[in-house]
Parts: sequence; C-alpha cells; structure tokens
Amino acid sequence: MQSTYITLLSLIVFIPAAGALVLAFFPRDKGDAMKTFTLVVTAVVFGLTVIMALPGQGTWQFEQAQSAMQKVFSVPWISSFNIYYYMGVDGISFPLVILTTFVMMLSMAASWPIQKYVRAYCILFLILETGVLGVFLALDFFLFYVFWEVMLLPMYFLIGVWGGPRREYAAIKFFLYTLLGGVLMLIAILMLYFNSDVKLLSDDQLVASNVVSADLGDEERTAQIGEIRATDGPIHTFNILALQQLGQHTDAFDDELLFGKNLQWWAFLLLLIGFVIKVPSVPVHTWLPDAHVEAPTPISMILAGVLLKLGGYGIIRICYPICPDAGFELAYFVCGLGVVSMVYGAFAALAQTDFKRLVAYSSVSHMGYVVLGIGVWSAVAGNEFNSDSWKLGMNGAMFQMIAHGISSPGMFFLVGVVYDRVHHRNLDQFGGLFARMPVYAGLSIGIFFAGLGLPGLCGFIGEVFVTLSVWNYSHTLAVIAASVVILTAAYILWTLQRVYLGPEYKGPHAEALTPMNTRELLIAAPLMAFAIIFGVYPQAVFNYMTPSVNQTVDDLATWTKDVKTPQLEEEATAAVQPPARSVAQNQVRSK
Amino acid sequence: MDPITTLPKLLGIAWLLPLASFVLILFFGRRMGKAGSKAGYLATAAILSSCAISLFALFFVWLPNYELPGPVEHDESGHHETAAAHTGDAAEHGDHEGEAHEENGSGDHGENADVAEKPSDEADAAAANGGHEHGGEEHAAADSSAGQHGGAHHAEPSVRPITGDWYALGEFGSLRITIGYYIDSLTVLMFSMVTFIATCIHFYAYGYMHDELHDVDDHEVRMSDGSHLRRPGRFYRFFQYLSLFCFSMLGIVIAGNIAMVFVFWELVGICSYFLIGFYIERKSASNAANKAFIVNRVGDFGMIIGLMILFGTLGTFAFGDIDGKPGIFSQVRPEPSHQLIVPDGMIKAAAFEEIESGVEPTAEKIEAWRADTSPGTPGHWAYWLMIIAGLGIFCGCVGKSAQFPLHVWLPDAMEGPTPVSALVHSATMVAAGVYLVGRFFPVFVPEVLLVIAIIGCVTLFIAATIAITATDIKRVLAYSTVSQLGYMMLALGVGGWVAGMFHLITHAFFKSLLFMCSGSVIHAVHTNEMTEMGGLRKKMPWTAYTMLVGCLAIMGAGIPFTIGLSGHYSKDSILAQALSFRASNPMYGWLFIVAAGGAAITAFYMFRLWFMTFAGPPRNQERYDHAHESPRVMYVPLVVLAVFAVGVGWSTNTFYVDSLLGNFGVQPLLEQARPAGTLDTAHGVLMPNLVHPDEHESHFPAFHFPAELVAVATALTGLLLAAVFYGWRVLDPAEVRAQFRPIYDFLIHKWYFDELYDLIFVRPVLFIANRVAEFDKIVIDGLIHGVAMWTRVVALIDDLFDRYLIDGLVNAFSRWVFATAIWFRGAETGRLRQYVMFIVIGTVALFVLVTFYLNSTMAG
Repeated sequence: MQSTYITLLSLIVFIPAAGALVLAFFPRDKGDAMKTFTLVVTAVVFGLTVIMALPGQGTWQFEQAQSAMQKVFSVPWISSFNIYYYMGVDGISFPLVILTTFVMMLSMAASWPIQKYVRAYCILFLILETGVLGVFLALDFFLFYVFWEVMLLPMYFLIGVWGGPRREYAAIKFFLYTLLGGVLMLIAILMLYFNSDVKLLSDDQLVASNVVSADLGDEERTAQIGEIRATDGPIHTFNILALQQLGQHTDAFDDELLFGKNLQWWAFLLLLIGFVIKVPSVPVHTWLPDAHVEAPTPISMILAGVLLKLGGYGIIRICYPICPDAGFELAYFVCGLGVVSMVYGAFAALAQTDFKRLVAYSSVSHMGYVVLGIGVWSAVAGNEFNSDSWKLGMNGAMFQMIAHGISSPGMFFLVGVVYDRVHHRNLDQFGGLFARMPVYAGLSIGIFFAGLGLPGLCGFIGEVFVTLSVWNYSHTLAVIAASVVILTAAYILWTLQRVYLGPEYKGPHAEALTPMNTRELLIAAPLMAFAIIFGVYPQAVFNYMTPSVNQTVDDLATWTKDVKTPQLEEEATAAVQPPARSVAQNQVRSK
Repeated sequence: MDPITTLPKLLGIAWLLPLASFVLILFFGRRMGKAGSKAGYLATAAILSSCAISLFALFFVWLPNYELPGPVEHDESGHHETAAAHTGDAAEHGDHEGEAHEENGSGDHGENADVAEKPSDEADAAAANGGHEHGGEEHAAADSSAGQHGGAHHAEPSVRPITGDWYALGEFGSLRITIGYYIDSLTVLMFSMVTFIATCIHFYAYGYMHDELHDVDDHEVRMSDGSHLRRPGRFYRFFQYLSLFCFSMLGIVIAGNIAMVFVFWELVGICSYFLIGFYIERKSASNAANKAFIVNRVGDFGMIIGLMILFGTLGTFAFGDIDGKPGIFSQVRPEPSHQLIVPDGMIKAAAFEEIESGVEPTAEKIEAWRADTSPGTPGHWAYWLMIIAGLGIFCGCVGKSAQFPLHVWLPDAMEGPTPVSALVHSATMVAAGVYLVGRFFPVFVPEVLLVIAIIGCVTLFIAATIAITATDIKRVLAYSTVSQLGYMMLALGVGGWVAGMFHLITHAFFKSLLFMCSGSVIHAVHTNEMTEMGGLRKKMPWTAYTMLVGCLAIMGAGIPFTIGLSGHYSKDSILAQALSFRASNPMYGWLFIVAAGGAAITAFYMFRLWFMTFAGPPRNQERYDHAHESPRVMYVPLVVLAVFAVGVGWSTNTFYVDSLLGNFGVQPLLEQARPAGTLDTAHGVLMPNLVHPDEHESHFPAFHFPAELVAVATALTGLLLAAVFYGWRVLDPAEVRAQFRPIYDFLIHKWYFDELYDLIFVRPVLFIANRVAEFDKIVIDGLIHGVAMWTRVVALIDDLFDRYLIDGLVNAFSRWVFATAIWFRGAETGRLRQYVMFIVIGTVALFVLVTFYLNSTMAG
C-alpha cells in the first residue's frame, strides 16, 4: 500500500519539479512551447488530483467518509534527527490540493502575455507549485518547513522580475514578511521538537500517528513499539500527527517557559504569527496590497487563490491541534484578529482607487472570515460541550477558503484582462465597459457578486456559515462580523458602478477595449461555473471536507471536556483555597 | 389527489419554470429573434404556466381537500363580555392565560379538524384528538365569553402545513441548513397572486418595453461630446431579470425555513438591483440601484443577527416540524396549547453561566428559569433573546418593505422601468417584508409586535405626507406604496394577522394596477412630471378609468356595511383592529388616530394625482397633442387587474351565497392559514399592561361599525379636499403652498432623510475608510519602513565599524610591522663582526634573564 501512496503523492508533488528540470533543455527561442509544456504539466497534476476525487479509482481514490489521514506513507529521510519523508492527505488538505492544482493550471493559461525570460518564469512557476503542494501534503513538520521555504524564493523572483514598476519594493516586502514568519515558525518547530517524546504516547496513539506503521503485521508492530519503549531518553519527533497527540493527550508541552506562559502558549503564538502573516490578518497584511499590485496577473491569481490558504491551513492543521491549551486561551484573540481583518479590510477597500489594490483588500476582508471561523471555540461547559456551532464555523471557514480560492483569482484575472488592454487600474477612469465588453462585464459582475456573498454563488456559503457560528462563541464578535455585509456590498457595488456601468469609458486607450478572446474566456468561465456550482450545491465540497474537519473539532471538544475543564475547575477551587489557608495560618500564629 | 405529495411537486415546478426561462435567456437571449424579442415570449410563457399551475394547485388540490372555515360571527354579547374582560386588571388576564384560550368551538370546527387530519399521519391525528379532549375539558373551566364567537377560534391549527426539505446546503452534527418548503393556504394564495400579477405585467411589459427592440436613444444620458447616448436595445435582458425575479420571489414564498428565506431575500434584492439599474448608462439609475441594495443590506444585517440567535439557540431554521424534528414554530408555541413561550434552547443559552458552574439543565430547572423573568435572571435574558431575535428578523423586513427608517430607497427605485415598479416595487418584493412578518408572526412576542406597529404607523404617516407634495407621478405612487406597507405592518403589529395579510393581497392588485396606469401615461407623454400633464382622460380613456378604479380601491371606497372595492374591506379590518387595540391599550390609541388620518391623506394624494393627470385642461399642450392610448397588450392587463382591484376583497359571504359554494374568498383562505395559537389574547411580559386582543374581536360591531364609518368618512374627506384643490380648482394649491412654506419645504425635501443619512452614515463611513487606508500607508507601512531604515542604519554603522575600526586596527598593525621591518633592515649591514657581537650580547642576555627568572620562581 505504502508504495502505491508514495508513488501517487510524490508524483503530485514532484511532477512540476521534474517539469522544471525538463524546461532547462528547451531551446531558448521556443517561448510558446515552454508555456504550452508548463500548462500541460500543470494540467497533468490537476488530472491526477481529479482522479483521486472521482469514484472507482481503487487505491488511488480519496475516501470521502474517512476522517483520518489516508494515502499515508513514511520513509526515513534524515534518521539522526528523526526526520521522515512523510506525507498523507485528509479532508482538510485534499480540497486545498485540488484547488491548488486547478488554480495553478488556470494561472499558467493566464501567463500567455508573459514575454520576458519565459524559461525562468516557467521554471519558477513549477517550483512554486511543488512547494505549495508539498506544504499541503507534508505530515513531517521539518518537511513542511522545507516546502514552506521552497515556495518563498520563486515567489520572490516572480514578483521581483516580472512585476510592475515598484516590483522590487513589493518583492522585498513580501520576502521579508514571509521570512519573518518562517523564522518564527522554525523556532516554534524546534521548541516543539525538543520537548516532544513519542514514548509518552500509548500504543494505539503510536499507530494512529503513524510513528509505527499501521501496515505492519502484529508481531512486527509489537517489536517496533517495544524497541521505542526500550530506548533510553526521550525520542523527539517532527511527526505532526504525533505532536497533535502529544499536545492533546500528554503534558509534554505544558512546561512553563517565559512570563508565566507555558511552552505551547509561546509555540502557538509564534506559529500563529507565521501563519497570519500568510493569511494575512491585520496588522501584518501590508505586504499583500503591494505584492498584488506589482505582481503580474497570473501570480496575483496564485497569491490570492492558493498562497493565502496556506495560512488558514496551518492554523487548522498545526496551531490548534498541537497546542490546544494555548488555542483555548487565545481563541478570543484569534477570532478578534479575524473580525478586525474583516472590518479593516472592508473599510480599506472602500477607500481604494486602484482596482487591484481594492481586490487585494477585499481578500484581507474575506480571509478574516477564515480566521474567525476556525477559532469559534464554542464547545465549552456552558454549552454542554456541544461542538455543532464550532463545526459549522470551521467547515464554513474551510469552505470560505475554497470559495475565496475561486472568486479572488477570478477577480484578479478579470482586473488583469482589462489592464492588459488599457494599462491602467484607476477606478475613476473606467466606466461603460458593459457596453464595450458585454461577456467580460457579465462574468465580472458574476464573480464580484460571488465575492459579495450573494446566495447561489460560492461566497455566500462560507461567509454565512462562519457568521452564524459566531453567536454561540461571542455575541459582540458576531454582531460586528454580521455588520461587514453592509461594507462589502458598498465597496463591491461601488466598484461595479465605476468600472462597468455608465455611458462611456473615461480613461486612455479606449480603442483597445476589445471583447475577451477565447483563452481569456476559457479561464474565467470555469471559475464562474465553479462559483455557481459550489454556491448552489456546497455539499460537493463538504462531502470531502466535513468528516475530517468534524473529527478535528470533536478531538478538541473532547479535550476541552476531559482535560481543560477539570483543570479549570481545579484552578478555581485552588484560587478559592489560599485565602482560607492563610486564615488558618493566622489562627495558628495567633495561638 | 393527495395534497401532501402533490403540492410540493406542483408548486416546485411553478417555482422553477421562471428559473429555466432565466437560464435559457441568459445563454441564448441574444439569439432569440431581433434584439431578443422571442425572449419575451419565453418568459411570459414560463410565468403563465407557473400561474396556471398555481391556480390549479389552489382550486383543484387545495380547496377540495381543505374546507375553508366559516364566516366569523358578529356576536354582540360575546363582545360585551370580552370588552369587560379587557377592563379587568392584568393579573386576571395572567390567570386565565393558560386555560381560557384553549377552548374548541362547537359546530363546524369538528369537521375542519377532521379534514385537517385527513392528510396527516396517524400519530398527528392522535395528537390532535388529544388536543381536542384536552381543549374540551379546559373549555368547561374557561370563561364562557370566549366560547361564543365562532368555530374558527381554536388552538389546533385548522390545517397542518405541508413541510419538508428538498436538499441540504450543509449539515454539521445536528445543524442542518436546507432548501425546503412550507405550504399552507397562505403559500398557495401568494403563489397565485404573485404569478397572476407577474403574468399581467409580463404581457404589459411586452408592449411597454418595445422601444428596446431596436436601437435606443437615451435622452437622459449626455455623452462627453454633448450628444445623446445611442445604444442597442436590451429587450431580452429585461425579461431575463424579470424571470429571475419571479423565481426568487416564489422562493421566498415557498421557503420552508428562515435561512432559505434569507437566500431568496438576497436574490430578489439583486434582481431589484439589476432592474432598478436597468438603464445602466444613467448615473441616477445606478446610484438608485446601489442605494437600494445597500440600504437593504442594513436591514439584512439585523436579520442576520436574528438568524444567528435563532440558529444558535434553537438549532434549526425550519418553520415547521420536519421528520419529527421540531421547527421554530413548535418550539416557540408547543402543542397542545400553542401558547407563546420562550423555548428551551433560549433558556439554556441564557443560563450559560449557571450551566457552566455545574447546574444540570433538567426539564424542571428549565421550567423554573422560564417562570422567573425578573431582571438579572436567565429567564429575563432569554425573553430578551426572543425580543432581539424578533426585532432582528423584523429589521430585514424593514429594509425590504421600505419602512421607516430604511424607506429612503424605494422612491429612488422608481428609476427602473415602470413594469418593474409595478411588479417588484409595489406588488411583490416590497411586500415580502410584510409576508415574512406574517409568516414569522408566531415568534413575535407582544413587545416586538408593538415595535412593528409603531414603525408601521410612523412610516404610513411620513410617506403619506411626502406623497402630498411629490409631482413625479411614479414617486407619488412609490410613497403611497411605502405608506400602504406601513398600514400592513401596523395591522400585524396590533395583532391583526388576517387584516395585514389581506391588505397585502388587495394592495398588490390595486397598486400594480396604479403603477401600470402611470406607466401607460408615461409611455404616452414621455415625462413623469404631473405638472406637464392634465386632461389626458380624453386621450386615453382606458388608462384613465382603470386608474380611477385603482384610486377608488386604494382609498377604500364603498357603501358602509353593504359593499365596497377591495381596499374597503382590508382597510376596514386594519382600522377595526387598531381600534380594538386602542380599547385594550389606551396609551397606544394614537396608532388608530394616525391610521385614520393617513386614510384621509391617502385619498387626498391619490385623487390629486388622478385630477392632475387626467382632469382639467392640459398643462403642456405639446405633450398633450402627442399623447395616445397605449396598445391593447398594455391596457388589457389594466382591465383585468381593475376587475380584481374591485372584487378581490369579496368572498361568497359578501353576497350571502356561501351556503352554495362554501365560504370562498381571500379572507377565509387567510383565516385558514392563521398560525396556530395566534388568535389568543396575548400579554407582554416586560410590559405587562400591553395586551394584543384576539383578532376576531375586531369584527364585533363595537369596533367594526365605528372603524368602517371612520374609514369611509376620512376617505371622502380626502377625496373632497383633492377635488377642491385640483378637480374644481376652487382653491389654488400655490397659495396654500406659499402660506405654509416651511412645511412645504420640509415635505418636498422628504423630511431631509437623504441629507441626514448622508451626513451621519455615508460621510463618516467614507471618512473612516480613508483614515483606515492612510493608517495602512502611514502607520503600518511607516513602521515597517522605519524598521527597514533602522536596519540599514545599523548595517551602515556596522560597515563603518568594520572599515574604520577593525580594518583600521588591522591596517595599523600591518603598517607598524612593516615600519619595524624597515627599521630592522638597518641592522642588516653584512659585516660578520657585528653579527657575532649581536649573537654574544643576545646569548648573555638570555642567560641572565633565564637565571633571574628561575631564581625568582624558586624563591617564590
């Protein structure tokens, strides 16, 4: 089994890298051939993931009903540090993987106008895809980090070389922000690594987290477990699933570290900063507008459609399950970040005059929903540990990531289409595009309405599910979150009015406003189609996603009930007792 | 035919046909004949089929299976006793709250219940029977006054609504968000009404929009070079939006849960946006469209809060019970009494802290929490949750139905083509807010109903006063719509469920008629300004006289206690209910007075409109000369609607023929749909003196007679005033205007709402937005640039340090070594004797040093 899975997942991750290698041997002047080849490579990867999604594919098929990791394989990579080439996929990562391959394919198709250094562009593009897919599939924290850093560099060059006038500024800003996040993440990873010890786990947990392979026969397995138990000293691990088990079922990360906060609190914070930079949340978001404005259209599509999702994915996969105690304590902070981003992003979007900057700020606002939905820790004692609301929120957040992954690349692409024609993005110098480019305007209005959260389009489901889930966590945040619908409507409708409506086009190069060509239509139409399909039949996504997401929530709800609540009660009684004791001591003294 | 299985299918098809039409036109509209002329046929065919199916569902599925309730008796003695009960103190009310209202009527009620049980399963029937027996026992104990008035007065719903789900949008744990249906006679009636009016309007629009079949010169749009805009026609697009609208509107009507209502609520909003902004080139149109959508979103914000509370505490959105899982209605009004209580889920949510501190939420405990509503207790907070949830949902309705303070969008919405104004912005979509209040009526506690009544009352007055001074024919009608919607809200708010919904139905017919007539006029004279019209009845008699019927209908014309136009009946029942409410709550008596005064203003501005348009000499001869009657495809729908405007309020009972046909009519159909338990007298909890009287009491002569007389008298007063100013022209309106300058200015500026909102909402939001953007640029990026700069400064210092200090030292050392070496070079003379002397001196010195060193260490 393992060999099948290793083939499957390795193919998905490394086909793009192999493609990049092949590109090196193309003749210098065959730009179009290189683009076609790259498009084929991305299409092949997309095809592989689609095959996994379809029924009747035998061992390659993704099992919808299974909540645990599947297609798991693990082979030693750097044994002296217990680092494994360890990957797997579940309902949280799988939809994001498909989204990635899909958006990558479309953005490659959108890369045709690129004429400068085509070979380098294509190579970097493919390496980027490998990096992103690797992050989604890696289950070894070190491997995760490696892929995280792998995708950083191509992105830097893609913005810095092929971008707009201020591309170098934007690229460096992007690079430094993300690098900072990466460094903080590395510190957290090492903290967790050196405090981990797989020997603390029970036999079942060892198998569940794949420290001991489930494929082995009984005898072999017992032998391996025995071997682990017999080792002297702690056995550190980078295994994400094992770290989750350690975080939820042992006190491995509970040692006090700094300022009265324990190790997992600090690890959570460091990881969170790393991830919210990627999301991005206010106040670490300012790289995004600049990066988007300067990046070429296809790179904007990837940035918005895929890269931002890595942040949300990291929070769901790593922050909360590994450091539940810190998550519990900081849940309000995380939700607060989400709500602030939603409001702040919407306000900022309202003030923009650059079309692309506006869409970028709308991304900040929309990704706020993701951060909010993940954090609504409503399964607490007062709620009788009912986790339904939280499930609604986390599923909503996951759906919002997919929905945003459809609508925002669409928006950026559509902005790019008109930018390619008239070479400006000043919102006050558009107007009348409806008459000149009817199909384009129709698609734009559709995609922008998906962003506005119109029912029947994908944006609605995620936004509404997240908003609904918040009430049971915090009334205040819920009301603020609900108010964002007004601002969203305002900035989107105002944009549509300024760009598409009105009697005539007001800017330069009016003669260049020709209707969309077939290639552009073939990129925008699928996005629009998926926006409708996911909006009308969201179960198409939830079927894959829900079992794993619910499992994550249930694990944390169980942890709240079994570990955290007794602990809090204990602290409460302990807090009551000291004065009583001091009174007793006083009495003793007075005697 | 079994209605339980048939109706969802039939109405489902009727619902989806317009969607199919929309999709077809979306993809192929452009190719459907010249400028998409065939698209009109397609959309009309779709809505016509929907209408046929809906009417079939009403007449051949619903009515044969569910017998309508009999007429309400006007029992004098019953009234007296009830009135006496009203004067009793509130505590007494509280005493028999639990028992007095569960009585079962005698006579025909038994039949009704049997009919009702026919489609239900056996368990339901058993429950209903249990309810009967229970009710019967209680009846014996209850005071006798309640038992005397009529068979419809019973706790069990006369017909169980048909509920179910089509499919789920999402399902997490026990939470389900679904697309489903809730069908009762109101649903079927609304389906028939909406599809029927929509059909008329589709036909009418086929004539009205014919300009769009070829290139259009839009004289309202001036290009930068000074010319007028010339653009291709968009005939098919109009019908495309119209189809989408019909689908969305029917979605609201059939919705089985409040989330689905919200989904289609937004969709009708967006259709309205498209239709208001149909002339996309006009800045005013796109502004109006934006305004409509954004103002509606303000209402939706409240609605989302309501949804959150309901979903978060009750765990369901469904109206009715589905597969044994209780819906909102049965949680709020549990069987068998259907008394409004705060549901368990809300109590638990309110007792969050108690449960967290370890209190087990058992049934007894919940009961105890519920019973105690003193401030600071969970019961109190739970009741507030009910209020907030109710107000939240109502907030959505305020937006959609253009109630104060969100009424500002509707008059601007008149930028859309007139058929749209008739369908969307008078008959159907704006009535959706009222419909939702009616649908959600069982959940509103008396305090919320009071707010609804007050909002409705304020709205009807403000809008009516603005309509007096407006000169744009469509804006007069728009304000009239706002005002009439206010009447409906008022009716619902004072407990008149049937009265409010009845007015919704009658208003839909006469207001769409009025709008279409105004469209016909605009079509003829190419202006909206009434100051350019006059005398048109000679040129366009069909339009003039159908519009006269509409004006009479909205005025509520009729011969008291004999017969009248449709508006006569619905407005009477509203006033009667307001009067009955006044008897129970003297401090809210002004609601009735404002409503009665509003009736006079209504008659005044409607006839002002009619006289200014159709009577007297023409004010603009040129426009008059070019005027012509509209084509037949436009005025035939007018005649059809005029017939309904006259007669839709009638029931067989009006003509005393109900013994032959059963009591058929809109009112009995609505009576049948009345939500279970809402007929009882209801008392406020936070406001114990607030009493919502039983609606049937408003039929007692003591309320009904004065209300009817007041209605007719006020209407006639308004009519006479209008005639004095604009018909006979005895008085000159200009003089009055000059005399009351400040009031006139206030009204012509629409109470300055737009200016006020611009000042307190729009500008602050834009201000904040700009500050936020600056904050990003200056503070956050400034911080980052600062960090970057300091890093560079440090790097620079580091560089200088390297270059001058460290490198300097190294260089200095090397220079010194070099210099020393140069100096030493002087010693290299090449003379052997000198070298030997150096060696000797060196050796001796070494020995001396070593000896000295060794001695000192040994000594130490």
